[in-house]
Amino acid sequence: MSHATLASACAAVLRRDLTLAWRRRGDIAMPVLYALIVITLFPFALGPEDALLQRIAGGAVLVTMLLAMLLALDAMFRGDIEDGSLEQLMMSPQPLALMLGMKILAHWVTTALPLIVIAPLLAGMLHLPTAVMPVLVYALLLATPLLSLLGAVLVALTAGSRRSGMLLALMLLPLCVPVVIFAAGAVAAAQQGLPWLAPIAWLGAALVMALVLAPLACAAALRIALDA
Amino acid sequence: MTALSATAPSPQKLLLEARALSFYRQDEPVFGPLDFCLHEGEVALVEGDNGSGKTTLLRILAGLLHLDEGELRWRGQPWRRIEHLGDTLFLGHHLGLKSDLSARENLAVAAGTYGKRPGRDVTNVLNDIGLAGYEDEPVRRLSAGQKKRAALARLLLLPATLWLLDEPYANLDRTGIELVNRLLLEHAAEGGAALVTSHGAVSFLQGEPKRVRMHA
Amino acid sequence: MANWIPLWVHKLSSPPNFYRFAGVLRPWALGLALLFGAIALYGGLVLAPADYQQGDAYRIIFIHVPCAWMSLFIYGLMAVASFISLVWRIKLAEVVAMESAPIGAAFTFITLVTGSLWGKPMWGTWWTWDARLTSELVLLFLYLGVIGLYHSFEDRRQGARAAAFLAIIGIINVPIVHFSVNWWNTLHQGSTVRILGPSKMSSDMLWPLLTMMVATKFYYIASLFGRVRTDLLSMESGKDWVRQIADQEGRP
Repeated sequence: MSHATLASACAAVLRRDLTLAWRRRGDIAMPVLYALIVITLFPFALGPEDALLQRIAGGAVLVTMLLAMLLALDAMFRGDIEDGSLEQLMMSPQPLALMLGMKILAHWVTTALPLIVIAPLLAGMLHLPTAVMPVLVYALLLATPLLSLLGAVLVALTAGSRRSGMLLALMLLPLCVPVVIFAAGAVAAAQQGLPWLAPIAWLGAALVMALVLAPLACAAALRIALDA
Repeated sequence: MTALSATAPSPQKLLLEARALSFYRQDEPVFGPLDFCLHEGEVALVEGDNGSGKTTLLRILAGLLHLDEGELRWRGQPWRRIEHLGDTLFLGHHLGLKSDLSARENLAVAAGTYGKRPGRDVTNVLNDIGLAGYEDEPVRRLSAGQKKRAALARLLLLPATLWLLDEPYANLDRTGIELVNRLLLEHAAEGGAALVTSHGAVSFLQGEPKRVRMHA
Repeated sequence: MANWIPLWVHKLSSPPNFYRFAGVLRPWALGLALLFGAIALYGGLVLAPADYQQGDAYRIIFIHVPCAWMSLFIYGLMAVASFISLVWRIKLAEVVAMESAPIGAAFTFITLVTGSLWGKPMWGTWWTWDARLTSELVLLFLYLGVIGLYHSFEDRRQGARAAAFLAIIGIINVPIVHFSVNWWNTLHQGSTVRILGPSKMSSDMLWPLLTMMVATKFYYIASLFGRVRTDLLSMESGKDWVRQIADQEGRP
């Protein structure tokens, strides 16, 4: 018998989820479209005054990204639970945490990465200075995987429940407060010409922690949520 | 409460032994206490009415549910979930197929995570199971019976000792039922074992199979 | 190690035993809560002198501060009970954790409301995004998340286990939120009561505060025991001991 190696298992799960996302590429565009709509609404609500928009640009883009990701988060495991693939994955001779890590990575690539790509465009619509753009992108590159990882744990917890949409937002809010504070802090500092490395470093440290712990917590949460 | 039909003492080695298994849902007993054993090369039919806990029993043995009471032993040692990952295959009510992927792609993922039996590959397994010509169709375009076959193909492809099949005959035509019986016989001949649930009159294997009754 | 402790814990954690134990203790706890509460209110509202800076407005701390302590204390206790319930699958621990959450949420809510009432004369605004107020608000969301998750499952025990896991994630999150919010903004006055070292508060004001703290603890015990008893009855409704109680109480 040839047992599957860890590398082939990781590749298989990652390839499967990316293929599935590609077959439904319309769904990938949805969060991007949503973010675009929300950002478009800001000037209508606040008035087209450049200075005001410039001041809120960083925060507005971050919160919009967060909400767009939240929208897509709900579906992370639902399909796999409904068609039984998650059971098959849980019974496979592979570390579940690592397999879920691959699923989270695929989810991040298909939902957060497109958002990061259009982030400079969104920020530009609100007149964020070009010099601050790289800081915004760095902050998003660290904050979005963090949100995907934290969100995955919570989605796993709601996996066996009846309703989850609003509940997920309620559960995610306390967890994402620090993420938003540091990401927005970095952008704001850069905008004021202050050193912005410290909040970015905190985000990086949190990401490393989450990379190690979140998949394990996610595996434990799924076992709890599906044990019925 | 429960009884095991008398079968001739098997010369084969004891594989799985269950003593006084009980399961509760919200403190209501679902089944149990249940005793049975399974030897190498043995295929047992789990019998019981709707709601008697057949599926629950299989899910416990699959390690998907936590056992409340009772003892499970595997080859004489206490059963531990972690040691059975990959050695147990579960075919449940949900087939575990991605409807946007083809049968070939679905099987490739399964082989990637579970490994393959020697001498088997995705193409020859799909031919064997009767899905030749449909390998690259998205599963959602297959009929219910073809989907079932695509799920059954996993049994042929993946290496495992214990099969847990929940209603494997559902949605299958006569040749499909014969196919399941052939798979079970081949598996038993290789020293594997299987627990199968089924309700309704089904020509189950030949002769009189071993039975595990959920209720007396 | 004396081996009577685990045995004692084991006996008490069985639902019928705890039901009786809580039934005996609950009236006492409630009585003590009312007694201490009345003494504390009299001490705080009548005996304690007015503050030289804040006048009489400061007197709301006799409610605000004990509630704030309880909001954190109950969260901690809930997390410990959650941990026990997940590791040892003890039903009583699940019930204690899940029934603590609404009480803790209520204390958190009172803290926020009284803090806001206090803020109006002190800061001139009902709400300010100060670090401690914000942390307390996040704590309320944590409680609501736990309660919401618990109730979103068909199977109560499964819901309890999922919510217990969330409570544990939350307790890791509380210090992180507090630290990050502090980093973000600080306006709130520093702590005045310290457990270690001299307190900055006069003893006339301190004793009613501490008495109220004791009163809230007793109230929590009384409230928790009442809720746990009800929950145990409904969860174990099929069991013999519940039938016996129903028979006894149903008899005229």
